[in-house]
Amino acid sequence: MRLTYIKTSAVMTMREMARNRFALILLFTIPVLFFTLVSLTMGDNLVAFKLASISEETIVEVSAQKQSLIFIGVAAVGLLTSFLAMNLIQKDSDVNRRLILCGYRPSELIFAKLVVLLCVVVLISCYVGAILMLFFRPENFPFVILGFALAGFVHSCYGLLVGAIVRREMEGILLIVLLVNIDSGWLQNPIFYAEAQNKTLIRFLPAYFPSQASIVSAFTDYGISNPIVGSIIYGSGLLLISLAIYFWRMKIKKSSESFVQ
Amino acid sequence: MNGGALFQAEHIDKSYGKHIVLKDVSLEMQRGEIVGIVGENGAGKSTLLKILMGLLAPDAGNVVSQGIVGYCPQEAVLFETLTVSENFLYFATAYGLRRTKIENSWEEAKNNLLDYFRFGQYENRLVSELSGGTKQKLNLSLALLHSPDILILDEPYSGFDWETYLRFWSYTEELQSKGKSILVVSHLVNDRSKFNSLYALKEGNLECA
Repeated sequence: MRLTYIKTSAVMTMREMARNRFALILLFTIPVLFFTLVSLTMGDNLVAFKLASISEETIVEVSAQKQSLIFIGVAAVGLLTSFLAMNLIQKDSDVNRRLILCGYRPSELIFAKLVVLLCVVVLISCYVGAILMLFFRPENFPFVILGFALAGFVHSCYGLLVGAIVRREMEGILLIVLLVNIDSGWLQNPIFYAEAQNKTLIRFLPAYFPSQASIVSAFTDYGISNPIVGSIIYGSGLLLISLAIYFWRMKIKKSSESFVQ
Repeated sequence: MNGGALFQAEHIDKSYGKHIVLKDVSLEMQRGEIVGIVGENGAGKSTLLKILMGLLAPDAGNVVSQGIVGYCPQEAVLFETLTVSENFLYFATAYGLRRTKIENSWEEAKNNLLDYFRFGQYENRLVSELSGGTKQKLNLSLALLHSPDILILDEPYSGFDWETYLRFWSYTEELQSKGKSILVVSHLVNDRSKFNSLYALKEGNLECA
């Protein structure tokens, strides 16, 4: 891979992102809106739930509002990063193909996009974490941020997969909203999880490990190595599939002798 | 590949299911030749071009080129939220022009194209803010930036005003005099005298027009 090519592509991708002002406004307002709604609607009563990633016997009792704030933070990061990732891989696919025809390697284009995506995931996680601090101070704040970043990683890989499979934006948005809504927005809520009939299924959904990392870190000082490893494996699996599809879709059959370049 | 041919497509077949689009299509371009392919909508022109460019695999046949190819797609395929200048920079990187020893030579080529097709005043404008004609000028200029030996143009002058159309042909003739080969694919040809060879794509066959 050639550094100048990757650097140019990454800079151009960032410029394109920065010029999408409406998306930037949503990026800053959605977490604030989510947190505000939760703090206005949830009571401060105590709720008890199991920490599934620690053991089925580990039960904590915390404020329902605080628990929901953590939980909605994961959902906000998941929603934003999956949308961004889908947009990143779906948008400009024809002109990216033209660039490949002109001499870019698909690996250089996708690597540049992944670098930009990683930076955005870190920024969004820190931003959502900073907003969370306005509402309450979690037990182990850096690891809560790490949990948000893991949610961003797993969901952005899911967004890449959706963007690689689906050509049109509407279908992509539906696939993201449906999954993130039912997964992050409902099934991973520890209160629901405690009563769920089929916990195994919930453990296989994208938001399981990142939610566990954030919840455990917010209210206990237990280690979160399992959710970290789980998130990385899960996200990497999604990433590999989406990369395989991306490369397959971007392949170009060059004639013998020299071609465009 | 025949002796003097710069670009050659041999015995290309392509079908979509039972629908045969191209039947044993062969095409050859010599150095300094302008070749035209005309055909009605749905005749298979875009399919043939995609195969020539490697964007689509043929069922049979092969394409051989002995030079650097430049391709101008029918639709303006550009980065809409980048400026004209940024699009040039991105494509200059793709062509490997920024790796050359004379670092700014591609910028000279860019400025020449901006001047020649008279859209230099839009250099710092976002592509999304440009008119259809100006986008088409940029679309064409990006295919010319690296001075290709073979130029493949899909409906290159759609959206051009008369003056730009004339400038396009004058530029093409200039390239021809430098020994470059040009393939123009269009649904309409106004002036047959511009072409050294003109073919018509009918029912999947390429015939002399």
